[in-house]
Order: sequence, then C-alpha cells, then structure tokens
Amino acid sequence: MAVRVQFENNNEVGVFSKLTNSYCMVAIGGSENFYSVFEAELSEAIPVVHVSIAGCRIIGRMTVANKNGLLVPSSTTDTELQHIRNSLPDNVKVQRVEERLSALGNVIACNDYVALVHPDLDRDTEEILADTLDVEVFRQTVAGNVLVGSYIALSNRGGLVHPKTTIQDQDELSSLLQVPLVAGTVNRGSEVVAAGMVVNDWCAFCGMDTTSTEISVIESVFKLNDAKPTAITSTMRASLIDSMS
Amino acid sequence: MANKTEVAKPHLVRVYELDAFERLLRGIRVPACMITESHVVVDEQSVLKRLNALTIGGPADGNCCSCCGVGPFTTRAKQTAHYKEHWHTYNIKRKLFGKPALTLGQFNSRQDDNSSVSGSDSEGDDGGTNPVSDLFAAATRHCKAFFTNRYGQVFCVYRCILHHKKEELSTDGDGQNWVERCTRLSIPGYQRWAVLMVSGGHFAGAIFSGGVVVLHKTHHSYVTRRGQGQAQYNRDHHGNAPRSAGASLRRYNQAQFLEHVQEIIASWAEDLKGCSCILYRAVGSMNQAALFGKNSPLSRDDFRVRALPFPTKKPSFKEVKRVHETLASFEVYDSMEIFQKALIASSTKPAKQTGSDESKKAQKSPSKTINRAKSRERPARELPTQLISSEDEGPCFIDLDTPLDWIKTLSEQSRLGLLTNSRKDLINDTAIASCRSSESQDDNLPEHKEQIRKKKNKKKAEEGRPTKKGQPKIPASVQKMWTLIEDNDFTSLETIIETWEGDDLEAACNTQDPSDGNTALHKAAIAAKGEMVTQILTAGGDPCVKNHLLQTPYAASQDSDIRVLFRLFQGQYPDKYNYNKSQIPGPVTLEQLEQEKEKKAQQKKLKRQRNKVKQVEKIKTNKYLQLTDTQKVRLDEPRCFLCAHRLPKPPFEYDKYKFCSIRCLQNHRNVRPLHMSA
Repeated sequence: MAVRVQFENNNEVGVFSKLTNSYCMVAIGGSENFYSVFEAELSEAIPVVHVSIAGCRIIGRMTVANKNGLLVPSSTTDTELQHIRNSLPDNVKVQRVEERLSALGNVIACNDYVALVHPDLDRDTEEILADTLDVEVFRQTVAGNVLVGSYIALSNRGGLVHPKTTIQDQDELSSLLQVPLVAGTVNRGSEVVAAGMVVNDWCAFCGMDTTSTEISVIESVFKLNDAKPTAITSTMRASLIDSMS
Repeated sequence: MANKTEVAKPHLVRVYELDAFERLLRGIRVPACMITESHVVVDEQSVLKRLNALTIGGPADGNCCSCCGVGPFTTRAKQTAHYKEHWHTYNIKRKLFGKPALTLGQFNSRQDDNSSVSGSDSEGDDGGTNPVSDLFAAATRHCKAFFTNRYGQVFCVYRCILHHKKEELSTDGDGQNWVERCTRLSIPGYQRWAVLMVSGGHFAGAIFSGGVVVLHKTHHSYVTRRGQGQAQYNRDHHGNAPRSAGASLRRYNQAQFLEHVQEIIASWAEDLKGCSCILYRAVGSMNQAALFGKNSPLSRDDFRVRALPFPTKKPSFKEVKRVHETLASFEVYDSMEIFQKALIASSTKPAKQTGSDESKKAQKSPSKTINRAKSRERPARELPTQLISSEDEGPCFIDLDTPLDWIKTLSEQSRLGLLTNSRKDLINDTAIASCRSSESQDDNLPEHKEQIRKKKNKKKAEEGRPTKKGQPKIPASVQKMWTLIEDNDFTSLETIIETWEGDDLEAACNTQDPSDGNTALHKAAIAAKGEMVTQILTAGGDPCVKNHLLQTPYAASQDSDIRVLFRLFQGQYPDKYNYNKSQIPGPVTLEQLEQEKEKKAQQKKLKRQRNKVKQVEKIKTNKYLQLTDTQKVRLDEPRCFLCAHRLPKPPFEYDKYKFCSIRCLQNHRNVRPLHMSA
C-alpha cells in the first residue's frame, strides 16, 4: 500500500530516504516522525536505519541501492561507511565508488535485476554497479532527460516514469526493463517522480501533497494493492517473455 | 542597421476600429508557439487500460529501439546486446543534442575517421539552434499574446488586455479560451477601459469607451521637493520628520494629494464598475495608497485591475491617451515569416532602444544645475594669440590666426638654415607654450622665463668660483710626503716627519689633494699602510677631514685591520682629536680585541658541533624512512611515519600509525588504499 509522509514539511521523500526489498535507509533528521512512519510500516519485515552521506541528509539522491547491494559516493566518510556496514544485513554488499557524477541516485535507476544509467556514467562505475547490485546495466534516457534516476521510480513489479515520456518510449523501456511502465506524477503534478516517492515490491511512500488519483495510479502500477483484481498479477512477466521468444 | 530595415514594421489595427478589427478576427486561431503543455493529468482508468493492454498483448512494438531505428529484436539477448553497443549510446547522446541518429554504417565510418567518438562533439550537421524552439521560448515569456487568422496574418496584443496575470488561461483544445477572450473585445461593452496613473504628485486618469474619452481628470500637487520628497516621506514614517517650512508644506501637500485622488476615484466608482478592465501605474506604497487606500472602489483582488506592462512617462492626460492607444492597438504582421523575424529581433534586443531615441538623448542639452562633485568636460577655448619671445629679443608680438601653422612654417625654415639662433629659440618656446594648458599661458609664461634666467646665472656663478680661486699652491714637502705614501716607503716618511722643520707639520698632514680632496691620512688608509696611519695620526693628521666623496679616512679605508687601528688609536689617545665627526665607531683596547677573538672561535666550534649532530640525524632519518610501515611500528623510538620527525606528546595517529602533524597523517592515508572499502 502507498503511504503519504513528509520530511520536515518537505514532500520530496525520495530525497531523504532509500527503500529496497531487504532494507530501508532514512536520513538523520530533526524530527523522528519521518523515521517512525517507515518504522511502523516496515519494521516487521526489514531493518530501517538512520544514515547520512558525507554529513548530508539527501541520501536518496546520493546513493543507489537494491536488495543485493548499496553504492555510495566517494564523499562518504569512513565512519559513515562503517556505520552502514554494521547496520545493514550481512549479505548486502556495500561499495564506495569514485564517480564524477556523484549524485548516484540521480543518474542511476534500478530494481533488483536491471539498472538504467546516465549515458555519461564512467565505465568503471558501470562495472562496479553490475557486480555489487547484481544487475544488467543499460545506458538510456527518459523523455529526453539524462537524469534517469530522478525521473523513474522502479520496483520489480512496475515503474512510474516522467509524465512526458511518449507511449513509444514507455513501450521500449518496459520491454527493456521487463516491467510495465506508466507515465505519471507525484506530489500534485511533480514530474521528478523518484524524488517524490520511494517504492519496493510491497510498499510505497510518497509526499504529503500526492493526490488520491496519483496514489491510485501508483498502487495499480506497482501492484501494491493485492486485493485489486487485475490480470497483471502473475501473467505479466510470462506473457512478456512469451511475446518475445 | 541593415538588419533593422529588413524587419518589416507591423501595421496597427485599433480595437475600436470595428470593421478592421472584425476582419482581423476572421478565422482566429492560437499559433503553436503559444500552446504550452499543461501538466499531464493521469487518470486511473487510462492507466488500467494501458496496463491491461500491456498484459494481454505484450508491448505492441516495444522490443525495438526507436532511437537507432533497429528492431524488432527476435530474442532478448539481441535486444540487450543492442542497448549495450557504443552505437546506441552515441545515438542517445546525438538525440539529446537534437541531431538525427546515425545508422550503423555511418557510425562505423565515423569511428574509423575519429578514434574517439563522443556524443557531445560539436560538429554541426544541422546548424545549432532550432528556430522553432527559439520562437517558442520568445513567445511564452513575451508580454504580448499572439494569434493568427485565416489570411495567414499574425497579430499580437498585450496580455493584460486579455487576462489578469494571476488568471491562467489554459491552452487546451487549441486555446479556445484565448480565442474567446480576444473575440469578445469587439463587443463595445468590453471596450470600456479605465487608465489610472499616479506618480510623484501627479495623477492622471481617464475612462475610455471605444476610442472616445468618457471621463478624465488630472491633478498635481507639490510633494517632491526637488527629488527629496520620497526620502522625506520615508523619514516622516520613521519618526524623525524634518521640521523645515518646506518640509511641512510638502507634508501638507502630500496629505492633500492623497485625499484628492481618493476623492476622484470615489466619485468615479459607478463608472469604474462598468469598465471591463482597469489599468494602472502606481509605483511605491505612497502611490498605491492613493489608488487602493481606504474606501477605494478599487481592490487589488479584482481581476479587472491590472498593472501596465510597459514603461510610461509622467502622468498627464496626453500620456494616458497614449497608453490607451498603445494597449488598444493590435500589431499585425502579414505572414508568419515576417513575424518570426520581428519577434526574434525584438527578443534579442530591447525594443525601446531605437536609434532615434538615442540620438534624441545625445542631443539633449546638459542640465542647468552643475554637479560640482564630479569632474566635467573642459570647455574648448581658443588659444591666446599673444606670446612673449625669448630673453634676447625682448617682447615680441605674434599676431597670427593660426599659431600652429606659423610654427610649422618657421620650423621648416629653420631646417633649411634660414633662421638665426634666437629665432629658433623663439620657435621652441612657442611650441612649448602652445602645448601648455590654455589657462596658465598668458600670465605664467614671463615669470617662468625669469626663473630660468636666474637659474642659469646662478650656475654660471658657481662654475666661475673655482677658476677665480685658482689652484692653491701645494708645498713641495707635502707633495713628497704623498709620493712616499704611494711608494710605500715607511722609513723615509718617518724620517721626514721626525725631522720636520717648522711648526706647520699638522697643516701639512691635513693638506688636501685638490684632485680628490684626500689628505695624507686618507692616502695611507686607502693604501692600507697601518704603520703610516699611526705615524700620521700621531703627527697630527686629523681623522675628521673629509675628501670630495665626503669620506673620513676611517670610512675611506676598506681594510678591517686599518679600521681597527683607528679604533685602537682612539682608545689610546681619547683626547687628541675630537672624534665625533670621524665616523670611527668607538674606542677599543687590545684586551677587548682579544676577548672578541676568543668569543668568535668559541662560536665557530659550537657551530661545527651542531652541524655534526644534524648530519647524524639526517642519516638516521634516511635510514628510518627506508623502513616499511610494519618495521616502523616495531621500533622502540617512535617517529612520524611519514617524515620521521619527532612526535608531539600525544601524537596524531590512526590505526597503529603515528604522525607529527595532521598534514602528515592525511598524506599518509591518501597514499594507502582504504582497507575498509576493499
């Protein structure tokens, strides 16, 4: 299900948190409200940890993560890295990368199997990304934007892309990523969808401004509402593969 | 300027010229450049429909790459392989820069030409900027709205006539809202506009119906006080109001003005109600208060009340009429191309700076008041015609209209050898004088001449003095003494001094050589003859006499031993001469000299020892630096791991490494691979 949440009166929750299928990271903030919303939703299934990157709270935009691993930029301090290693599950690989485009969250969008990256990303980073996160990496743009990490919110079950993405592009991307994609917005019309929300396979958090229409779009595309009777639930992946082979 | 003539001037159609306006409106449409995409509204139904379509049929033509124009791919492997090719990445980058994609063949050939293919290379196949996007950018931020009609004409009008700036007109459905707003202007009821302007104690307002003035009023009060009014108004509100008579007059007028304008507006309340739009210019709180103050029929929330979008002059009835006419006129361009040119030209340079305006400004006479704090241009004054000739010939008057021409001809003549010396002087003087600033010329010139003349005389007198005196006669005995000193013949000198006849020995010793002013003592000191120096000193050679270089014998001697001799002599005979002017630093005795020598020897010894210790230390540190880090850890005497310096009391350390400073620690750590991220 999708939950509305705010980080200190700011609706860009994707900036201040990172959600994966095996752990969740939230920024160290002034108020614990933000943390406790995540805690309440997730704590039974996965650990929720406080994290800072290079002393900043914008962890969602600085890091890239999935259930297999976590990449942090080179500006991360040793103590922070040590703290992250200590608090995350043991099977999660944590790696620091030297990359010119240091806001990794903005230039990389990924789920547990595939990643879309900025066309200018370093080849070394691409390799580290493929090894650490165990994903297939594609260089691509979204609606003419190179910041794929900002404009795609992706999970294993679906994805929300920039509202101006053409149908053709959506088809191509969803065929490439092997998940259904829909163009949409969060936070009452914001087009930076990944900054406005975080999502994993069973839960999504979006900004307080998100309208109910947007919420219902999010719930249907990420299939968060299991009760919803759609044909997508199990057949999607199979039929996709069928149609291509 | 040639460019400007190319841009055709639009012809104007006024709103109240009903026939022309109606013809203009036929087949009115909103051009593409005006249509900004509003936020995409995603509704649930369409999403579900789309998701269902995806599930049932699979993405219809998804498994192809539209960027490179490849596909459909038969297998997943082929698809992923394509997306990882350089060719694909390159095409993505080209697409970002608005260039067409390359086919595989083109890409390969280009790669052969240029080993490193980057997407951001600036070789242009289609010439950089896109005129359509330029037009769009210019149109969306323009203060006018644009329309086209069935004749292909493009016309524009100020947006403020169509809508309030807070009222957003959507452009969905071919901009029907815009078209409606524009066409309704042809209805006479929508042509009833009010224009109100308040500024600097001037008020002007009028209500127009079509092209006719229904009501108008102007009012003026003295509230500005030569540009100080605003400052005084501000001070009034901060409690330290100026108390002068002028200030209180201004304050009174201010209140009167406010009241009067408010009265006028209130009396127009009924007429203003009927207006379809009320345009105002009121900058600053004072002027806004006049329009929107208490009991005003106007309110800022009213969408009919809109600010004027262009600069205006001082409020007057004439200006109000001009503003109305500008607002009411539609600029009509005959075709899209002409319009595009005009728009881009106007958006690149501000329209108001036309050539005629600039020239007008330049011609404007300078203001009557002079700002004495700033430097001004020097007024061009004529050169004076009266000049005074050189000293030889006495005053000479030159009555020529063009003195410079005259000088030129004269100098040419002088080159030909036609002039006497005195005439040449005259030429030079006049040339200098004409270069001089005009103000100082006529008065200062003779004085200046006089001064030069005086100086010359003085110089002459100085030169003459030595010749008058003539060479003083140097006695033969003194000459002999000097030659003996030069020949280094000490014994003969001694005998001469001892067997001196007469009592002018002292005078002889102090006789100066006329060529350089050296006395016998000087000569001995310069030649570094120690015995002679003591001999002459005892004989009565004064150590205070200075030669022509203003050196005393002590200062003239370069040898340190000789200098010590002078000091010893002073210590021995402190009362013989007045040593104050001899520049000798002070008396000294033999014992003191010996003590000094001992001290120096000791210092040398110490220095040598210190150098030895340093060298040993250097060898040690070199050895230490060659050790590996693990060996360094094991050593008993810990030093800085990087520079082998001694450690401070609590050393800077990380892990087991210790350092003398933070800089060393950082440098050490930057070199070592971080084992944490390994």
